[in-house]
Amino acid sequence: MKRAAALVLTMLLATLLAACAQLPERVILLPDAEGRASALQLQPLEGAQSPLLLNQAYAQADLVRGELRSGLSSAEAVQQAYGPLLAMQPQRPRTFIVHFRTNADGLTPETAPVLAQVRAALAAQAAGELIVTGHTDRVGSPEANDRLSLARAQTVRELLAAMGVARELISVAGRGEREPLVPTADEAAEARNRRVEIKLR
Amino acid sequence: MRSLVFALIALLTSLAVQAADPIGRVKRVSGSVWVDRAGQSLAVQPGMALQVGDRLRTGADGMAGVTLADDSLLTAGHNSQLLINDFQFNTSTHEGGMLATLSRGSLHVVTGLIAKKTPEKVNFKTPSVVLGVRGTEFIVDVPEGRE
Repeated sequence: MKRAAALVLTMLLATLLAACAQLPERVILLPDAEGRASALQLQPLEGAQSPLLLNQAYAQADLVRGELRSGLSSAEAVQQAYGPLLAMQPQRPRTFIVHFRTNADGLTPETAPVLAQVRAALAAQAAGELIVTGHTDRVGSPEANDRLSLARAQTVRELLAAMGVARELISVAGRGEREPLVPTADEAAEARNRRVEIKLR
Repeated sequence: MRSLVFALIALLTSLAVQAADPIGRVKRVSGSVWVDRAGQSLAVQPGMALQVGDRLRTGADGMAGVTLADDSLLTAGHNSQLLINDFQFNTSTHEGGMLATLSRGSLHVVTGLIAKKTPEKVNFKTPSVVLGVRGTEFIVDVPEGRE
């Protein structure tokens, strides 16, 4: 009798394990923060199946016995199954901008108070850090602008450190003239592009 | 003398480990979360820097949110194991690449600046599938009981 019970239990366990084993690996494409779906290409590691492309919001792929099957999920279903996971996502990066005078590494006076805002926002964010990235306009060579943009970022780091922001929470980068706010011809002076972006994340 | 040499080597080795560039930071932690690194299992606190080769593990009550150097956001759900196989990112040019493997559990991904510039360089793996990113937000789920 005991033995039969044990057998039933074992069978139940086996059934449960089999049920677990049948839960498919699953991938769901979500719309991005602007509401657009982008795309994912899925390639099984084994078998001869060709890649499956997900390119629609809430498109879903399940891997069942080595084969990818496409389907469609929904905002409600995702929230139901993955709500706590979505709620745990880190804060999306926020960017503050300060501007520089021509060819110099001095800040324009109008934008200096932005640094105080940055300090306050950093203090309010758990495990926050600052990424300070310098940018230039297109006057001068790309190499010179790489150096100038990094120097601008370092200037801003020093200003933040002088305001009491811990230096180890600030990293610097120079993007040179690669990422203008306003596209211009080469050698064009453009005040809006001479800037440092301070990213809080 | 010999012990001094060993002490010096140990010191240099620890400096080398510290000098490894962080590729991101754990931003949010709830429940039990560990990082396996160089044969050790480290309890994770918010703010902890991550390195290539780290395996992030969450317990039955654990979840963790990570921000990588290119602004990618990775959130791991309960009972998850996520290995950062590879990550490179140049902050000047935004060139780089990454590969991460979810061997079990669930993962929410918001891709970052690498995927914006060269999406074909951003890949995720599960035990059975390789995911190629085309600029994206998505969920991957690898239920337990599948090995």
